[in-house]
Amino acid sequence: MSAARKHPRGPSTEPLVVVCAGGGGVGKTTTSAALALSLARSGRATLIVTIDPARRLAGAMGVPITDAVSRVPLASARGNLSALMPDPRRSLRTFVEHLFEHEPEGRARVLSNRLYAGLADAAAGVHELVAMNLVAHAAARGDFEVVVIDTAPSRHAIDFVTYPERLAALLSGRTVTWLSHLAARATEGAAAKPSGGILAWGANHVEGVIARVTGPTLVGDTASLFGDLALVRERFVSLTERASRLLLGERAAYALVAAPTAAARDDALYLASRLEALGRAPRAIVMNRADARPAPYLRALREAAGVPESVLDAVNLLEHESASRTAAADALCAELARRLKKTPQVRLPYIDASSPEATVAALSESLDAHIDAMLPGL
Amino acid sequence: MSAQHPEGHHRVPPRSLAPVFLVMGKGGVGKTTVAASLAVLDAETHGLAVLVEFGDGESGRRALAGAHRNVEHVIIRPDQALQRGAAPLFGSAVVAKLALDNFAMRPLLRAAPAVRELAMLEAVRQVAAERPGVRVVVDMPATGHGVAWLRVPRQGRDFLGAGPLFEMCDRIGRELLSPGRASIVVVTLPERLVIEETLELCDALAREVGLPADRVVVNRVPLPLPPAALAAARALAAGGGPRGEAARSLVEALTAREAASAEARGALEALSLKQHAIWRLPLAPVDPSAHDVARWLRAEGAA
Repeated sequence: MSAARKHPRGPSTEPLVVVCAGGGGVGKTTTSAALALSLARSGRATLIVTIDPARRLAGAMGVPITDAVSRVPLASARGNLSALMPDPRRSLRTFVEHLFEHEPEGRARVLSNRLYAGLADAAAGVHELVAMNLVAHAAARGDFEVVVIDTAPSRHAIDFVTYPERLAALLSGRTVTWLSHLAARATEGAAAKPSGGILAWGANHVEGVIARVTGPTLVGDTASLFGDLALVRERFVSLTERASRLLLGERAAYALVAAPTAAARDDALYLASRLEALGRAPRAIVMNRADARPAPYLRALREAAGVPESVLDAVNLLEHESASRTAAADALCAELARRLKKTPQVRLPYIDASSPEATVAALSESLDAHIDAMLPGL
Repeated sequence: MSAQHPEGHHRVPPRSLAPVFLVMGKGGVGKTTVAASLAVLDAETHGLAVLVEFGDGESGRRALAGAHRNVEHVIIRPDQALQRGAAPLFGSAVVAKLALDNFAMRPLLRAAPAVRELAMLEAVRQVAAERPGVRVVVDMPATGHGVAWLRVPRQGRDFLGAGPLFEMCDRIGRELLSPGRASIVVVTLPERLVIEETLELCDALAREVGLPADRVVVNRVPLPLPPAALAAARALAAGGGPRGEAARSLVEALTAREAASAEARGALEALSLKQHAIWRLPLAPVDPSAHDVARWLRAEGAA
């Protein structure tokens, strides 16, 4: 690796996008922050994006949870690190405002639609789409060489890259027309006019039943909501394409974050298959809490003279815990190596630190030596 | 390992528990293991229990691996739940299938999760109704999403006003999501900010679903350090040479543990202040089995 770069890449070059994926509880957010800190320290203009920001980490890094990019004030980042931590609770509204920028009446109707409130929790992937568009916006300015994205803590965190097609299909003219037709029937209770043979009669009957079961309110509100969304279909599709390009483009590299637990193992294997299916095999596996051996100071204390019994008890406890973690990590690393033969593995130690910033700093120091192996050609 | 606990914890007289447990909590707190262990504990105590899981069933199978064979593992898949829930609504399975397969309904159902959530809750209601007297433990989706699920029947009832779908929402509300029918078990970690989120979750459950949290399981409570170790390590650390240097590293690690223990005590205190009944599980260096966790839960009076 060359020493700190003096000249950032020009705006014509897209930044490298490192996506950290992994299940819940593996330390993914902390690891992503540590990786971004290492990259920043090596002189690369870096942006860390946290999809599901933990207030604790945001606080530790000294940045607010907003839709704007903020400079991370940590001295060790040498001014090269910025953060983007959008608030999930605001994203649906941001999204609707963005979509309907040129359709104020449609926007007003959507925001007052009774289904809209229910959508806020249910619209899977909307927050990710909003976040990715903020990232695309920041990346387009050409300020960053690397963008590190911490995905939501779920094995389904990357599934949203496939939602756009589904949603776009939903907003196609045919569905919207059908819904309005259904809404009219549900309201009027109009009798079916059989025409065009048994198949048409069957379809008509089914529509009648759907209208009766769901009732006029639900069908009416759904029809109106989709009618309005159809107005902005083109814009919607372009937003989703932007997000897909960023995450599935040439400059995207995936890192699997895991820890030696059975849940993390299953999540890592599942995510590896998903990524391979998307044509984006993971570039590296980062194994947290995977001490290769007990910290040397423990052995030094055990072998030193004049160490009191209570200290030796503590040493034994820590050595025992470390050995349990090592055994679990060895087994998992070996299994992942069999499954993902060419993917380099990075083992990070368990960190006994009393604050999140100390943990990020310690992990970042461990990561420094592995950056080149993880991201060759950076 | 035995479940040892920090001092200064006040027990709250617990409410009695309903036949169905809805196990909630954010991702990575050990929710699935706790759900599986509660089912194992009940099967050990009463001979039979059910673990309900949404999705592919992988997590539950893993958590139950080698556990009690009298735990029935019910996996609810969204599409099957839709078919099953829709049949009575549409009068017949054939018409239900035709309606769900309609070209416009299919994408609509896929993109409108509230419908699937309703169907899956209806499936849980049916599972519990078909097994009277058996404890049914439901591994709910992670926090925000979980509350959204439980809100759906209420929202649907208020929104629809009448009709077959309204009646389904109403039935789920009465027969599943009411005190006496289901108990909420919230799983959390003894960290300040996680506890803050947990208290917000408990408020949302009581206010928006009408079900207060009946038990809070505090997972991974750090074990107390060997007494006097930190003071003795500090004394050594004041000295020079390799021993002093090693002792300084130990002091750092032990101080971090002390901080974690103190934070855990504060977290438990915060829960007690809000009158939550607590079950505590100790921090283990690696994955505990469902059997271990069931044993710890028994020691906490969960049986």
